[in-house]
Amino acid sequence: MHEDDPIKAERIRESALAWAVRTGDPAFADWEQFTAWLEADPSHAAAYDGIVLAVDDAADALAAVPVANDDEPAPAPWWRKWPGGAVAAALAAVLFFNLWSGPDGVRLIETAPGETRLVELDDGSTITLAGGTTVELTGPRAARLEQGQALFTVVHDDSAPFVVMAGEDRLVDLGTVFDVKLGRGGIALGVSEGAVVFNPQGPNVQVDAGELLVRRAGSDEVEVTQVDLLQVGEWTQGRLTFDMASLEEVAEDLSRSTGIAFSAVPGGAAYTVSGSLLTAPVKADPRVLEDLLDVEVRQAGGLWEIAER
Amino acid sequence: MPDNAPLGPAVAGLEAAFLEHRERLLRFLRARGAGEAAEDLLQEVWLKIAAARTGPVAAPLPYIYAVANCLMIDRHRSRRQEELREREWTATIADTATGQSDAPGADRMLAARQMAALVAALLDGLEPPRVGQIFRRHRVDGIGQRQIAQEFGVSLSTVEADLRKAYAALAQFRERHDEA
Repeated sequence: MHEDDPIKAERIRESALAWAVRTGDPAFADWEQFTAWLEADPSHAAAYDGIVLAVDDAADALAAVPVANDDEPAPAPWWRKWPGGAVAAALAAVLFFNLWSGPDGVRLIETAPGETRLVELDDGSTITLAGGTTVELTGPRAARLEQGQALFTVVHDDSAPFVVMAGEDRLVDLGTVFDVKLGRGGIALGVSEGAVVFNPQGPNVQVDAGELLVRRAGSDEVEVTQVDLLQVGEWTQGRLTFDMASLEEVAEDLSRSTGIAFSAVPGGAAYTVSGSLLTAPVKADPRVLEDLLDVEVRQAGGLWEIAER
Repeated sequence: MPDNAPLGPAVAGLEAAFLEHRERLLRFLRARGAGEAAEDLLQEVWLKIAAARTGPVAAPLPYIYAVANCLMIDRHRSRRQEELREREWTATIADTATGQSDAPGADRMLAARQMAALVAALLDGLEPPRVGQIFRRHRVDGIGQRQIAQEFGVSLSTVEADLRKAYAALAQFRERHDEA
């Protein structure tokens, strides 16, 4: 590479390291910036590849040969065989078949956008999945929300709390009906009955009935506000309420509940809308959104764009 | 789901993003070293996405980029392995004149164990000890960086700095290993 110029070579190595770390995170989204860095100097890509390959191979070697003090002796999941382990982790959440029963009784339930599904568990608890949602049943009293939104109605058992993993957050029920949404904007947890403890080993926030916990994507800050009890899980009745929601959030929620592909016009992130609507009329004609939320709606290719009005 | 099932709405959303951002994706692939093959590789990216039968993706564009990046890493890896094989093959010919010989499975297992032990020792030697732990949590357990920051009670930028340190050590280790 730049053997003739050690200072330049070192600088490239430093920035390649930084990009290898950043692009390896499942939450990484700044691909434009990464492209610009690659374009700045043809030797950037080679430096990046060299590091990524070395690190991938090292991680693969570690994963293939379990270390003795590893408390999770399970073999590496199939997705880790895909190069770029951490990127693959992000993909893993979506690379599954519709309904799958694994050898260990692990079950994945997935809904298409516009579809809802009620799942009854053995203990009488129920999970209602909104559209575009993936839930994995990881045990008799444990589930993982991979993405989307689900309403949990849990039969409480003091000796065996029901645990929901939502992305990387841990929610533990204290006798409960609660709604969890995991999307591009972050995580939202609404409780309509009982209480839920959010990340007991971390921030350990208790969310009571009538409260809504929100943590925006990319932030560690947790915000708890009051919410109308009837609003929690209202999507099961075909209703959606937006409170100062970004157009991206609106597009995401509508896509999930109607099965119609909506997208927010880029750049409108700072613009927020509030309002409550029934999804059925939107499904019939997306243009009704214009007056309901005071936005502009137009058809662009296969999807409906929502823009600031 | 049969292979020839029509594209579901989830894939349709990805397809919309794919078509809409085609030029950007091509630009990325070229920057990533795809050269003339960029168009073909973009097609391959799409085939991978379609074949993966993904569920709905919250952020389609970053997802497509990630798949494209994986593909380029893959290509780089196989090109490198080809080079290594060629070198090995030449060496084998010179040594035994029996052509390409398969290394016995036991030897390969041993090699993998040795590599894992070397990598583990290297990570354990990094200071502070958190660096090796964070690397394992991220790259072996597949935990995101933000979550790791929470678990270790450090900031996200500390996690990034620790990972950079581990990556630098592993890249250096690899360079030495390749030269040997």
